[in-house]
Amino acid sequence: MPQRTLRFTIRPDGRVEERVEGVAGEACQQLTESLEAALGTVERQEPTGEAFLQPEVQSQTLPAHLH
Amino acid sequence: MSHFSTVKTELRQIEPLVQALEDLGLAPEKGQRPVRGYRGQTVTADLAVTMDQGGDLGFRWNASTGAFELVTDLDLWKQRIPVERFLAQLTQRYALNTVLAASLREGFQVAEQTNAQDGSIELVVTRWDA
Repeated sequence: MPQRTLRFTIRPDGRVEERVEGVAGEACQQLTESLEAALGTVERQEPTGEAFLQPEVQSQTLPAHLH
Repeated sequence: MSHFSTVKTELRQIEPLVQALEDLGLAPEKGQRPVRGYRGQTVTADLAVTMDQGGDLGFRWNASTGAFELVTDLDLWKQRIPVERFLAQLTQRYALNTVLAASLREGFQVAEQTNAQDGSIELVVTRWDA
């Protein structure tokens, strides 16, 4: 059961910085979208370290052998 | 989907705005209300805080920006802090209330809430997914 963690920094001028930690799930995405609707426009969005840890997917087309 | 975002907070919704004003010790009233300025002149706002000696605070919905705007007579400013500082504090409370409400609605729990030295509020929310 993965734990989803979101870390917010609410600056004295009201700017909100949001950081998704660990494996981001659909719930994080929903929360982010719901916040953006209530708060305002996203000024900047950059991937955190984990975003680069893409699951490696390899695909290879195997020729069909007809016997 | 992992990312880091920065959102410039706008006062878009009335409920967290009302709550933020209450957090600052004010008593806002909703509905079309007069905001008193210099020599009894008034403008109409969608939300108003009536001050004892005039210099009311009003918030008017601006449909083109999709956000509420402060309307007040700055010559009669009665708050303890300058207007820029007041708006910053209000926006921070608005943002905190909005983040808390949205987190609970999406099933997250507050794991940590701290006030940083620079005046920022740090909030950590978590949720266990099946």
